[in-house]
Amino acid sequence: MQTFFTAVEIFPILFVVATLFGAVTIIEVISMMGKMGFADFVGSTIVIVIIRELGPILTAFLIAGRSGSSLTTYIGSMVINDEVDALASMGVNPIRFLVMPGLIGGCIAMFIMNIFFSASAIFAGFVVTKVIIHVTGNIMNTQLTWSYLSTEIMNALEITDFAFMVIKPLVFGAIITTNACYQALNIQRDIRQVPKAVSRSVIKSFLYIVVADVIISIFYIVDYIKNLNTLI
Amino acid sequence: MFDEALRMEDIHLAYRDIVGAMFSKPRILGYFRGIETDPQKELISNVNFSVKRGETVCIGGPSGQGKSALLRIIAGLTRPTRGHIYYFGEFIPPEKLTALEVAKRQVGMVFQNGALISNLRVRDNIGLPLRYHKMGSPAEIDEKINMAMDLMRVRDEADLFPHMLSVGMQKRVAIARSWAMDPKLLLMDEPTAGLDNYNRRNLLPLIDNMRTLFKTTIIIVTHDLMISKELDCNICFLHRKTLTEPKPFDYWLNSDSEISRELFRDLRNSG
Repeated sequence: MQTFFTAVEIFPILFVVATLFGAVTIIEVISMMGKMGFADFVGSTIVIVIIRELGPILTAFLIAGRSGSSLTTYIGSMVINDEVDALASMGVNPIRFLVMPGLIGGCIAMFIMNIFFSASAIFAGFVVTKVIIHVTGNIMNTQLTWSYLSTEIMNALEITDFAFMVIKPLVFGAIITTNACYQALNIQRDIRQVPKAVSRSVIKSFLYIVVADVIISIFYIVDYIKNLNTLI
Repeated sequence: MFDEALRMEDIHLAYRDIVGAMFSKPRILGYFRGIETDPQKELISNVNFSVKRGETVCIGGPSGQGKSALLRIIAGLTRPTRGHIYYFGEFIPPEKLTALEVAKRQVGMVFQNGALISNLRVRDNIGLPLRYHKMGSPAEIDEKINMAMDLMRVRDEADLFPHMLSVGMQKRVAIARSWAMDPKLLLMDEPTAGLDNYNRRNLLPLIDNMRTLFKTTIIIVTHDLMISKELDCNICFLHRKTLTEPKPFDYWLNSDSEISRELFRDLRNSG
């Protein structure tokens, strides 16, 4: 139920954002790399931008804005209406009853949505790019084919990218849902506090997601330093 | 076996310092923190109160005197600034006084607005605590839900959501939900507030049934003084921050005390 709430309802907007973002990324990378003579780095750059970094972050931002805010509104309204107190007075632990389903559903949904975002950004982004190239009469003079793009991306993918495709969405999903529930459960009994809690929930989720991303990125710095030592 | 369902000794409750609250710990951690209080802002002071098993007591008084706050203290939803509370002879230390801990002693609460879970149907609202605590097999739980719905006459509304129900119906569902858990002590916050005479007349016999059939101890917070007459139970008043002795309705009606003059004036005038 929570996964459905978090994921399915956001599908169309996520698909559109992913497609347009993918198209922009592919066009920029192809044109810039071609100009600079770094055509071999097209795959690596797309993997870094779409799969490793901005894909998970944009997905998390969309889910924080759509589902995190809804979760804060829902639980915040429950606090105002004494429903959370009613749960506690029946011996029903509100954390177990409200937060845990949100947390598990949010993590699963974030994982699925991240894969969906990256896949849409590359596949649908490629199609849109081809359409744009066709419509503009190929003024960029690029020979973009699916076999070229897919081979470049597959060659650039590393095992750590697959690992982080699991870790990042789970971490971001946990951040969004726990922060949304935390902000909601802490509001005072005043209906005006609900919209304030919602904006706090979204803005703080953005902040925590970026901080978490930076912390996770430390792995790549450590990995880079290790490789440098091997070379020296 | 203790004869008392509830005993409260020297209960005090003060407002939290509003300025300090901006920088204080979050509300959800409130159960674990010391409360910053100002003695000048005391809402409840030196309340001593006890209820026998199976007894029904009403707590009355003008609005804003802290009646609901007192009920929330008993339910463990608000921690008193000072004082001791015993449930069925068992003392719960103040640092452990939480709603979850109190609920383990089979203390139920019916909120003023019903506080039904908005995304659950009537049937599931009543069944929620039973399923959560695994109080029987699925068939037994279904039977208990049906019994509760029959007792409170909400069987026809079983598949409706709370927002589809009238205020009176929501209160009956809330009572059914509390009753289904077999509470030994039931706390009711303004059960007749917002009800018309017809629904009020229908609700009181249902409360009376719980008392007579199931020997449930009931504490009712209300400004509807006639409840104590109709249920033939004692009533006490939260007056000037403290609680008076529980006495029968007729005692207060004929008393010359300040609280009687204040609250029973209209009833006396109407004869």
